[in-house]
Amino acid sequence: MRQIYAVTLNTFREAIRSRVLYSLVLFVLGLMVLTLLAGAVSLNQDIRLIKDVGLFLSSTFAVMIAIFIGASLVHKEIERKTLYTIAPKPIWRWQFLLGKYLGVMLTMAIQVGIMAAAFIGLLTVSGGLWGQEVAQAFWLIYVEVAVVTAVALLFSSFSTPALSGIMSIGIFMAGRFADELVAIDFTPKVHDDGGALEQILRGLGHVVPDLSLYNTTPYLVYDQALPDGYALDATLYGLSYAAVALILAAALFSRRDFT
Amino acid sequence: MVHAHTETALSVEGLTKIFDTGFLGGMPILGRWFRGLNLKGVAQGLRVVDGVSFSVSRGEIFGFLGPNGAGKTTTIKMLTGLIHPSSGGGTLLGAPLGDRAARSKLGFLPEHPYFYDYLKPLEFLDFYGQLFGLTARERRRRAEALIDRVGLSHARGRPVRKFSKGMIQRLGIAQALINDPDLIILDEPMSGLDPVGRKDVRDIILELRAQGRTVFLSSHILQDVEMICDRVVLLYRGKVIDEGSLDALLQAPGGVVEITASGLSPAHMEALKPLAARVANVAGGHRFYLDHGHDQRALIEAVFQAGGEIVSVTPHRLALEDVFVQQIQQAEGR
Repeated sequence: MRQIYAVTLNTFREAIRSRVLYSLVLFVLGLMVLTLLAGAVSLNQDIRLIKDVGLFLSSTFAVMIAIFIGASLVHKEIERKTLYTIAPKPIWRWQFLLGKYLGVMLTMAIQVGIMAAAFIGLLTVSGGLWGQEVAQAFWLIYVEVAVVTAVALLFSSFSTPALSGIMSIGIFMAGRFADELVAIDFTPKVHDDGGALEQILRGLGHVVPDLSLYNTTPYLVYDQALPDGYALDATLYGLSYAAVALILAAALFSRRDFT
Repeated sequence: MVHAHTETALSVEGLTKIFDTGFLGGMPILGRWFRGLNLKGVAQGLRVVDGVSFSVSRGEIFGFLGPNGAGKTTTIKMLTGLIHPSSGGGTLLGAPLGDRAARSKLGFLPEHPYFYDYLKPLEFLDFYGQLFGLTARERRRRAEALIDRVGLSHARGRPVRKFSKGMIQRLGIAQALINDPDLIILDEPMSGLDPVGRKDVRDIILELRAQGRTVFLSSHILQDVEMICDRVVLLYRGKVIDEGSLDALLQAPGGVVEITASGLSPAHMEALKPLAARVANVAGGHRFYLDHGHDQRALIEAVFQAGGEIVSVTPHRLALEDVFVQQIQQAEGR
């Protein structure tokens, strides 16, 4: 456990010292501009607009940062040869990978926490109300980040950062529409392909993580509480998906030669 | 140099590494099939280390030599678990290669090391100490001592990114020793160091041996190897082409010994000439060159009987570089 803790803390320290968190300034500025615009262009709908676009910006921004960090996480260690002095120590490779993942998740916890604070601050300044559902919404954004980071790490364990990033973004986008992919139905049939494309897309919908679960905007915008147990179910689903991705990543990483 | 080596610290038997090359070679299942076809550029197996066997005794300094591309670093990576062997295996401190418990007593410095450059030396060593499960107090104590030992006391407040190449190498040696290892594997430890730095590293290595530890090192700087190693193995194109004690390896084929004497009259000189292969006049006396067919003791006694003085007795050894080049040329069939 001490080894995992050491890698986690070191990954977190690297993120802090590389000034990754400075990117949040951009986010907060974006939110402020949005608030001003919302006030100017909407007619008594500015609070809804802030909630809608604010949540969209928060989740997209958080996921993009997670992909950016996660996709290069392992490759950077090999490319810079920092791993060469760590792997021969009494640490299993899966422990190293898990430590890196938890380090990123610790960094992302602070990122998402600051985003939530900025969101609540702007909402309050604009005269909007907020409650438990905002905390749940940001918690679910964090779970979504956990899933996407694990997927990025999986790709990163055998691929280059650029390819890992592209594949992760692809999974993220498909995951956002996973609920629609599984129910896709091309009727009337445009092409007579025996339904192969439908089958492929439905299959894809089952394989990619269902990230539509983490979009709670409709509830927040219309001031509705999330259904009972929704957040817990979505959390368990997300953590299970992330765990499977991490196990696969660890299996691939353990077999890899560091040439 | 004679050491009582009874236990084996490291041994490998038939260690082989074949890298998959070509754009399909690395693929998990298809790659294997294509490699069987051995299509150039598509999928091929490149044998980088080929059946390497040697054994390192506890308490010795073992040199791992070979020209560039001989497979030294690949072998070292297999020893330290960075690369999986294609076949063969070995033991490290009595456990199979890759054993986690054995690795807790292993120190390792890779070639051209690169470290987390945002860390300061104490933070850096603390991180590595944590990987060995050391307590905070122990980590602090060892890190402080090692920073002093490798001569980085003046840079303790500086992040690694501001270190010179030589300083990084010194820090690398410190991290290799943070766990108080029994076996230390050093890949080109003198690389990037100035003469003072090289001497410091040699002193550290000799000190480690004096403490009963085993040091396995690869180096291109044969002068250093010659000064500190007990035994060496010579690798060429992935194969061991020679192995043995440095004394045996460097013994000149003629076993030449140079004896310089003074205070001998011309008449005595004439009497002594048949005891040596050749005699030369040098400043302040004469130099006798003896080979295997001559008795050193007899000559020395004769010099004393003739009223002369022995100025020096120098066994003439080959330089490691000469042996190295000779062996490589032999292996190349030149």
